[in-house]
Amino acid sequence: MSDTKKQGFVVSALAGLRDWTNDRLPIVNAWEKHMSKYYAPKNFNFWYFFGVLSLIVLVIQLVSGIFLTMHYTNSAEAAFASVEYIMRDVEFGWLLRYIHSTGASAFFVVVYLHMFRGLMYGSYKKPRELIWVFGMAIYLVLMMEGFMGYVLPWGQMSYWGANVIVSLVGAIPVIGEDLLIWVRGDFLISGATLNRFFALHVVALPIILIGLVVLHLLALHEVGSNNPDGIDIKKNKGPDGIPVDGVPFHPFYTVHDLVGITVFLFVFCFVIFFAPEMGGYFLEPPNFQEANPLVTPAHVPPVWYFTPFYSMLRAVTVPLFGIDAKFWGMIVMFGAIAILFVLPWLDRSKVRSIRYKGWYSRIALLIFTASFLILGYLGTLGTSAPRIALAQFCTLLYFLFFFLMPWYTKKEETFAEPQRVTGRWITNKQLAITLALLAALVFLPLKAVGAEVTVELEPVEMDLRDEASLQRGFTSYMSYCHSCHSLQYARYQRTADDLGIPTDLVMENLVFGDASIGDLMQNNMDADDSNNWFGKTPPDLTLAGRLHSPAWLSGYLNSFYTDTSRVWGVNNTVFPNVGMPNVLYELQGDVVCTNNAEAPEDCELSHVAGTGELTPEEFDAFVYDMVNFLYYIGEPVRLKRQEIGVYVLGFLAILFVLVTLLNREYWRRIH
Amino acid sequence: MSEDGTDSGRRRFLLGSTSVVGAAGVVGAIVPFVGSWNPSAKARAAGAPVRVDISRIEEGAIIGPIPAWRGRPIFVVRRTQEALAALDTLGEDVLQDPGSEQPEQPEYAQNEYRSREPEILVLIGLCPHLFCSPTPRLAIRPEPFEANWKGGFYCPCHGSKFDMAGRVYNGSPASRNMEVPPYYYETDNVLVIGEDGVNA
Repeated sequence: MSDTKKQGFVVSALAGLRDWTNDRLPIVNAWEKHMSKYYAPKNFNFWYFFGVLSLIVLVIQLVSGIFLTMHYTNSAEAAFASVEYIMRDVEFGWLLRYIHSTGASAFFVVVYLHMFRGLMYGSYKKPRELIWVFGMAIYLVLMMEGFMGYVLPWGQMSYWGANVIVSLVGAIPVIGEDLLIWVRGDFLISGATLNRFFALHVVALPIILIGLVVLHLLALHEVGSNNPDGIDIKKNKGPDGIPVDGVPFHPFYTVHDLVGITVFLFVFCFVIFFAPEMGGYFLEPPNFQEANPLVTPAHVPPVWYFTPFYSMLRAVTVPLFGIDAKFWGMIVMFGAIAILFVLPWLDRSKVRSIRYKGWYSRIALLIFTASFLILGYLGTLGTSAPRIALAQFCTLLYFLFFFLMPWYTKKEETFAEPQRVTGRWITNKQLAITLALLAALVFLPLKAVGAEVTVELEPVEMDLRDEASLQRGFTSYMSYCHSCHSLQYARYQRTADDLGIPTDLVMENLVFGDASIGDLMQNNMDADDSNNWFGKTPPDLTLAGRLHSPAWLSGYLNSFYTDTSRVWGVNNTVFPNVGMPNVLYELQGDVVCTNNAEAPEDCELSHVAGTGELTPEEFDAFVYDMVNFLYYIGEPVRLKRQEIGVYVLGFLAILFVLVTLLNREYWRRIH
Repeated sequence: MSEDGTDSGRRRFLLGSTSVVGAAGVVGAIVPFVGSWNPSAKARAAGAPVRVDISRIEEGAIIGPIPAWRGRPIFVVRRTQEALAALDTLGEDVLQDPGSEQPEQPEYAQNEYRSREPEILVLIGLCPHLFCSPTPRLAIRPEPFEANWKGGFYCPCHGSKFDMAGRVYNGSPASRNMEVPPYYYETDNVLVIGEDGVNA
């Protein structure tokens, strides 16, 4: 009895607060207009999750971004180190960073799918032209946001990616050169560029983005949502003035979207906790190396979400009207985005949805999709003549989809639209055929132009739970590597704790000079001296295990051989003409190249029996421990990350069951 | 079952359980964000205990303020016998907390000298009033702010006065004694400031 009274008091107090506010700000009206009395078609399918998911990712990016800004240092000198500081020293900093880096890619995944939905169901057609235009503006700002954000970690890919894209400005005739210097604020990409990109990335562009999202939603709620059938539900209203095929957004689509959001979060968290690099597509390995204006990485592909347009840029190889090909490449690339803005006025079809459009439109959409995917894949690869030819052909198809649209949408015979919205339209068999066709259209041309050539290295399994191995690896690293190399982003204390070594043992045996246990594992060798001795300053090794695979590292350490033509008397088959002497020579003994190959990488190596302090088996174990340690120090949080991930995914699985039941409960009576 | 066929009991249960689990998820998601505000490994390394060699401090002299433990100014003073004797003469008529009743020092420093060894005084050089750093005025001589000055510290900001054990004078804006940090003797001449030591 007292419970209900108490509840009654709270409820009436809240209602009072609501009424008080509503007299001064129309919150009830807004709630009704946008949620409880916003009637959305009841036949939304899978594709309609991606709008709300874009909003979710936007919030995730804003929150994680704000927190990253608290720890990041925006100067060319300190940016790279500050990212590693976030990854190692800030409590849960690694999680904030992975949320944000995965969120960037997730943003483009959901936005691309959201755009494709619009393309399929004609959501850009009258009266929704403005929604589409605002959406395209969001996409454009998002690309700038993604590009500038990628520069901030100040790794090699950040630097050279920025260099390539910014220098496009220089292709503009007459004013290009001066404009380029103005954009960079320097004669090369430098700290000045980094600082302005930081300001734009964290302040200016997010404000614009949020403004555009508000406009996008306001315009949508003014005209109402489209649906997979592309018919207007407002034409068919019941006696109460409510569309008979509409359901109030709240609660029906709020509970419905919860299911999509939970599934999305499951996938999102899976990537964060188990594959944050996503095979090098979300975080590219060369970016684990600090920006160096003097050395370009072997291959500079942009992040995956830019690759279709990057392919188009590269596909233009002929100058025209006396102007560089580079300029026309830029025109084509920006044109590919610009043409999307006018899409609503290119489509002359009587119907909206692909369900009732004719075969011309269907085939055009299929070919367009395949071309876009091929361009995207090609953009991640290096170039070759057949690949460029394919990219040129796909670029042509991309543009033809739009240029011919006024003709084929008008000309083709459409199918009759239904009076009322319908449920699922495509059968499983039709879906399978469509997907198979799309897959064939994407893979066959790619196969024809040749797959990437990769050097095969025997995969090596690392074991981060083997504490004894890591301890041995740490000790050998300190004895054999640390006199020249450093681990300048990692601390003695953390390493000792993670590896289960008592602090005083580390202090006595492994910490040299006057460093204290909390310090970074820096090296005292003078950079200029080492540059003179080795021709190159020995690189920091903290991230060697992320820059290179364990297989590469153990291959490298195992592949020194005698070569008297080199300064140190040795060469390496995995890293030809390396500047480093074979520091493990006394342990390993003599290795010779038996086939007198011209190029180091073609050598067949053979160990001279009886040389070296260790047997070949012992030496292999030694190298394994050292690589295991380097793999650990590359990302010390790896094991903990996976452990937390299991709990997070378990939680989301439980939540999924609940939201699915809740959704079913609400939709039980809707047919 | 209500008239429109919805099972309101089940619906309420599902709404409730989803809300509870969802709220737990939100709390879980907040944890890393809150955690990221804690001192980082870098801050903790910088705030680690520090070693101070006291062999070169002459009698009646001070080292400090040194930016030491957790970045706070630390005073280390080797007090003269005269100064130590003067501490005894100051009682409740002059000081607010002559017996160091308030927990402004570790247990081992809760004595008449507020230190482990009588001569060596270790203080955090901050006035407990509004955290200015008091100026050392170690000599026993009349000062403009106190005719009967027995040596100590005077805060330039708001005029708080402290004796040679960091105890606050009556009539100061500060109402507590200066804080003694945890410390121990690693050897006779080396102090470790920031840790109580094993024999605490």
